[in-house]
Amino acid sequence: MKFKAFISLFVTIALVYALNRSWNFGKPIPPLGKFLDPFHGFWKNAVLTTAPVSSVKGLKKEVSIVYDSTLIPHIYASNEEDLFFAQGFITASHRLWQMELQTHAAAGRVSEILGATTVDFDRGQRRLGMVYGAQNSLDEMEKDPTLKLVAEKYSEGVNAYIQSLDYEKLPLEYKLLDYYPEPWNTLKSALLLKYMAKTLNIAEKDFEMTNALKLFGRETIELLYPDNEHVGDPIVDNPNGWKFKPITLGNESVLPEAFVQIKPMEKSAPDIGSNNWAVAGSKTATGAPMLCNDPHLELNLPSIWYIIHLSAPGINTMGASLPGAPAVISGFNDSIAWGETNAQRDLVDWYKIQFKDKTKNEYLSDGQWKATKKVIEKIAIKNKDAVYDTVIYTHHGPVTYDESYHGESEKNHYSFRWVAHDPSKELLAFYLLNKGKNYTDYLKAMDNYASPAQNFVFACTNGDIAMRIQGKYPVRRKDEGRFVLDGTKTSSEWQAFIPNDQNVMYKNPERGFVSSANQYPVDDTYPYYVMSNHFEAYRNRRINQRLNEMSKITPQDLMKLQADNYNLKAAESLPTWLSMLDFSKLNANEKIAYDKLKTWDFFNNIDSQGASYYEAWLRAIIPMIWDEIETAKVSLPDPTAYTTIKLIKEKPDLSFFDIISTPEKETATDVVRKSFSKSVINILKWKQDNLPAGQSGKKEPAWADFKDSYIQHLARLEPFSYHVKHGGNSSIVNAHNKRNGPSWRMVVSLEKSGVKAWGVYPGGQSGNPGSPFYNNMIDVWSTDRYFNLHFNTAADQMQKFSMTTQILKTVQ
Amino acid sequence: MKFLYQTLATILGCLLAQYFLPWWTMAIAAFGFGYFFRNKGTLSFLAGFVSVGALWLIMAYTIDKSTQSLLTDKINKLFPLNVFLLMVIVGGLVGGFAALTGALMNPKKVSKYY
Repeated sequence: MKFKAFISLFVTIALVYALNRSWNFGKPIPPLGKFLDPFHGFWKNAVLTTAPVSSVKGLKKEVSIVYDSTLIPHIYASNEEDLFFAQGFITASHRLWQMELQTHAAAGRVSEILGATTVDFDRGQRRLGMVYGAQNSLDEMEKDPTLKLVAEKYSEGVNAYIQSLDYEKLPLEYKLLDYYPEPWNTLKSALLLKYMAKTLNIAEKDFEMTNALKLFGRETIELLYPDNEHVGDPIVDNPNGWKFKPITLGNESVLPEAFVQIKPMEKSAPDIGSNNWAVAGSKTATGAPMLCNDPHLELNLPSIWYIIHLSAPGINTMGASLPGAPAVISGFNDSIAWGETNAQRDLVDWYKIQFKDKTKNEYLSDGQWKATKKVIEKIAIKNKDAVYDTVIYTHHGPVTYDESYHGESEKNHYSFRWVAHDPSKELLAFYLLNKGKNYTDYLKAMDNYASPAQNFVFACTNGDIAMRIQGKYPVRRKDEGRFVLDGTKTSSEWQAFIPNDQNVMYKNPERGFVSSANQYPVDDTYPYYVMSNHFEAYRNRRINQRLNEMSKITPQDLMKLQADNYNLKAAESLPTWLSMLDFSKLNANEKIAYDKLKTWDFFNNIDSQGASYYEAWLRAIIPMIWDEIETAKVSLPDPTAYTTIKLIKEKPDLSFFDIISTPEKETATDVVRKSFSKSVINILKWKQDNLPAGQSGKKEPAWADFKDSYIQHLARLEPFSYHVKHGGNSSIVNAHNKRNGPSWRMVVSLEKSGVKAWGVYPGGQSGNPGSPFYNNMIDVWSTDRYFNLHFNTAADQMQKFSMTTQILKTVQ
Repeated sequence: MKFLYQTLATILGCLLAQYFLPWWTMAIAAFGFGYFFRNKGTLSFLAGFVSVGALWLIMAYTIDKSTQSLLTDKINKLFPLNVFLLMVIVGGLVGGFAALTGALMNPKKVSKYY
């Protein structure tokens, strides 16, 4: 009997143990007992309401938070310290898991949570010097007493929330992945900003351009990859208006002559971009200026943005904040509004390093051997032993690529120079914008902003509108930064930076509006060399065309413009392509496709079929033309769609139109015809593959179905992610393709009687998949509608829209 | 009858334990009542299984109803088995084995020679 009892006891204890920990059998399994327990497990994460009162340590006075019906918090504090404390607390209480995951990702610590599959990613982050850059930023931030306090109070607020957690209250993803949040700190806020800098500013093609130069020669690369495509208006068109003495550097940079044999971590995505504009009162119905912003980023859940209203004596601001960083990033206050688009400038360089020997203790610089610095990075891995990676630093920065990381030859060592490694205090710029009253304050705020370089649009209730392309830019010699640079000579390094007052900017232009959409920034009379990985050619022209045409503009008109689906790329290419087809030789299916394209109005609306046929054609023609690039033995850059379309029209006999896998010699016409036939076959295949079960016949390729946009949960969990039917595409003002799109849409009317604003993003204020506010904005966003942000809604009216009030009480 | 008593007592005990303490404390409660009621092994196992299974089911069902299955529907898609069923099996097994252990530790028939 006792033996049986012992066995039974053993089974019980083994069961409890097994169900109290997570497992990984190819798929991670949460601790089932803990997770399924209805007293503390996942069930408890299904919540419809917010706690009315929270008692927290560290507040000076009580803070009240009014949530409106979209769960947007309007925070009212009696001093700034409590205000930023509350911002940290409230943001964390809705977004903690995301905040920690993103800062872990920035620091190269994802393997701690997800296991060995992300080690390469983590090593890459360490080798790009993400923590090194964040630490430099933090040190600089802490020199400013106000900024230091803001960052520390925010951090304290986040920690007050973390301390209030027990297993029952833990955000769902921690329960699923079985780990606990660690304390927050100010370095994490700095890391988050570096994460944004990486998203927006790391795009470069120096390696690929170096290979292209060697393989194709100078003339061809100017044809395929021009610095300036000279299309549309630059962001700031101010010919001969640059009345300053520019800094000039003597020697021209030397062009490299060897192939680069490394596999870059990822080819830069040209889909990250944004729109912003401000229209002067002379063009609006109310006579007050209006400002709009929609940053295009990868669309995930929880969303990258969190809407917040921060109010205390001396500050009253609202807009989109980044969970993990204090202040409002794209927003407005009582007097001004501002918003950002990416400035695209190339602020990333690679220096080829010559080490003395295999120990890599010394490297050559101006004829002398200089000592390297070695940093040993420990990468912890869930359920496994940690791995160690030695990252070598030269005075340029970290040696990212070598034979142990993505290098294909022992001779390839490249040191990474990135402007985001330099000390800077972007948060001060946002803090000053949040409190700004006028154009002078805006300029002062901008002077503190370094990276990632952004086109800052501005509008003020006094009628001013402005644009400033702000960042820290090295003074470049022609071609400098386009290719890899010689790391053995300091003369090839950055010698000086463009003074802030010589940056590209202008105020109240005659045309009555300012706008930016990642296009080429400035007219040809600007005295500095400007280059980038990619400038956008289409959105800016459509926006400027529409803004030029419009008058008596209302907020609704601008909402309509943000949702504009006109496909300028198609309008400029499709008629030519169709005229190149030989109609008499088309088969039945091709004739159907031809008709759909011929009658298409160039709008990528949800139900447009022409948009799908065009996209299929574009996807077929680009790789067919650039097969030389895809099949090359070294990594090469892709020419832009704009250049490709232009070459089809203007240089149909270019050797690149030849398809190398066929014996005959093709011209542009042949490629257009062949790719058309291929795209029709692809559409037919799509029609069969996407036929709903039980239906016969064929499903017509409506654009939204063909595009199949997807908003993905950050842990890539399907049940927490959504497919969305929405129009738009890359290069269209409504820049929503499969995964990227307008991550925040804001329209602000700067009326003297009170600023009004509307906003929306594809997600929800709560990061909790068990909350009705997890995804409630998606449908509003995808039908191009907005929420009134209730910035100036009168207190008695506000009761109609406020859902609940939360009080943060102090405890000693 | 004793089966019913054990079941009711275990439900109450587990409710109390779990209200304040981590999930596995219900095993201690189930074990204690298994020991106390001295039911036959299989009966005790059944009492433990049913108690914890029922208690968890009622709790989970209440939450699910009040939140319109908002989260349950999503979590269901993460597991190959319906989460209610999976939960009852997981909780029931632990409760059952704990109660069985209790019963086996305190057998009814005491040796004559003792």
